[in-house]
Amino acid sequence: MIDARNFTYMFYGFAAAFVILVVYVVSLALREHKLRSEIDRVRRMVEQSEKKI
Amino acid sequence: MNTFLRASATVAAKDLRSELRTKEAFNASFSFSLVILVLFSFAFDPSSEELHSISGGLLWLVFSFAGALVLNRSFARELQNDCLDALISAPVPVSAVFFGKTIANYLLLMIVEIAALAVFAVLYDTHFATQLWPVVLVMLLGTWGMTVIGTMFSALTVNLRMREMMLPTLVYPLLIPALMAAMTLTSDLMSGTPLGPSNMIWLRVLAGFDFIYTILAVVFIDIVLVG
Amino acid sequence: MLFVLAAVCAVLLSVNLYKIFMILPDEANQGAIYRIVYVHVPAIFTGFTGFFIALGASAAYLITGKLKYDAFAAAVTEVALAFATIVLATGMIWGRIIWGIWWAWDARLTTMLACWLIYAGYLMLRRAIDEPTQRARLSAVVSIFGCVDILIVWKSIEWWRTQHPAPVLSVRDGGGMGPGMEAPIYWNWLAFMCLAAILVIVRTRQERMAREIDSLRRMAHAY
Repeated sequence: MIDARNFTYMFYGFAAAFVILVVYVVSLALREHKLRSEIDRVRRMVEQSEKKI
Repeated sequence: MNTFLRASATVAAKDLRSELRTKEAFNASFSFSLVILVLFSFAFDPSSEELHSISGGLLWLVFSFAGALVLNRSFARELQNDCLDALISAPVPVSAVFFGKTIANYLLLMIVEIAALAVFAVLYDTHFATQLWPVVLVMLLGTWGMTVIGTMFSALTVNLRMREMMLPTLVYPLLIPALMAAMTLTSDLMSGTPLGPSNMIWLRVLAGFDFIYTILAVVFIDIVLVG
Repeated sequence: MLFVLAAVCAVLLSVNLYKIFMILPDEANQGAIYRIVYVHVPAIFTGFTGFFIALGASAAYLITGKLKYDAFAAAVTEVALAFATIVLATGMIWGRIIWGIWWAWDARLTTMLACWLIYAGYLMLRRAIDEPTQRARLSAVVSIFGCVDILIVWKSIEWWRTQHPAPVLSVRDGGGMGPGMEAPIYWNWLAFMCLAAILVIVRTRQERMAREIDSLRRMAHAY
C-alpha cells in the first residue's frame, strides 16, 4: 500500500544510495588492508634477499 | 594527403583481396545473419503487424552481431608472422593503415548487410520499396559508425590475451547511441513513416556520432598501435 | 587534508538533510518521494564531473607519460562509477513509484546505462592488462572515447521527448522548481564532491601502493 506521501519509498531511495556508498567504502577499506599486508610482505622479502647478498 | 589516401587504398585493397580469396569472414557473417533471422522467426510471429515496429531492432541486431565477427578479425589476423609490426613500421602514417582497414571492413559489412536485408525482406514479407533509399542511407551511416568503432577497438585489443571477450564488452556500449538511432529510423521506415521532423533528430545523432568518432579514431589510432 | 574535507562534507550533508527533510514542503504531485532528487541529481553531477576529470587526467597521461596521472584517472573513474550506480538505483526506485515501472528504454535511461557500461568496461580493461604503460595508454583512449556518450546523455532530455522528465533546473531553461527547492541540489552536489574527493584521494593512494608493490616484487625477484 503506498501511503499518500510516498514516505516509505523515499527512505528506500535514500537507503539505496547510502548502501551503495557503504559497499564501495567497505570495498576500498578491504583493498587497503590487502594492499598494506602485501606491501609489508614484499618489503620483508626484499630485505631478506638483500641480507643474503 | 596523397600518401594518406594512396596508403589507405593499398591497405583496403589488400584486405579486400585476401578476403575475396578465402571468403571466410563473409561466409561466417552471412551464415550467422541467416541463422539469427531464422531463430527470430520463432521468437516473434513473422506475419503480425507488430513486426514492423521491431524490424529495425531485429535488423540492426543481425548487422551488429555479424559485424562483430568481421571486425574482430580485422587486426587479429595481422598478428601471425609479425604482419602487424610490418604494417606499423611501414613508411606511411598509421592512420592510413587504420583508414584502409576501416574502408575494407565497411565494404565487406555493407555487402553482408545488403544480402541480409534481402533475406529479411523475403522471409518477413516486409514492403519498404517506397523507403528503400532512406533505409540504405541509414544503413550506410550506421554501418560506418559500427565499423569505425569496431576497427578502432580491434586495434586496441589486438595484443590483449582476452581479446575475444574485451572487444564486444568495449564496443557494444559505445555503439548504443548509434544503434538506437539506426534501429529507430529503420523501424520507422519499415512501417512506412518517411524521414521527417519526428525522426530527423535520430539521423542527426547518427551523423554526429559518425563524424566525432571518425575524427577521434584517426587521431588516437597512432597512440593505440604504436604507443 | 582528508579530515578537513570530511568535516566540511559532514557539515554540509547534515545541514542539507535537515533542510530536505524538515523544512521543505512536499511536492504537489509526487508527495515526499521527490526529495530523492536531492540525491539523484547531485550524484549525476558528481559522476559526470568525475568522468570529465578522468578525461583530463587521461589526456595528461598521454601528453606527459607520467603514470601518476593514470593512477588518478583510474581512481576518479571508479569513484564516478559508484556515483553513477547511485543515480541509476535512485532513479529506478523513484520511477517505480512515480511512473509505475522500474525501467524505460527511452533515450536518457538507455544512454546513461550505456555510459555505465562503458566505464565498467574501462575498469575491466584495466584488470585485463598487466603491463602498466600499456594499461595506462589503452585505458586513457577508452576514457576519451567514453566521454562522448556523456554529451549525448546530457542533451538527451532536450533532444527527445523521454520518459525521464524534461529539464527542470533553472540553469537549463527549465520550468524551475518551487521556491527554495533548487538550492539544496547544488549544496548537496558540493557535499558529494567533497565525499568523492576523499574517496579519490584514498583510491589514488592505493594505486600508488599497488605500483610500489609491483616494483618491490621485481626488485625482490631480481636478487
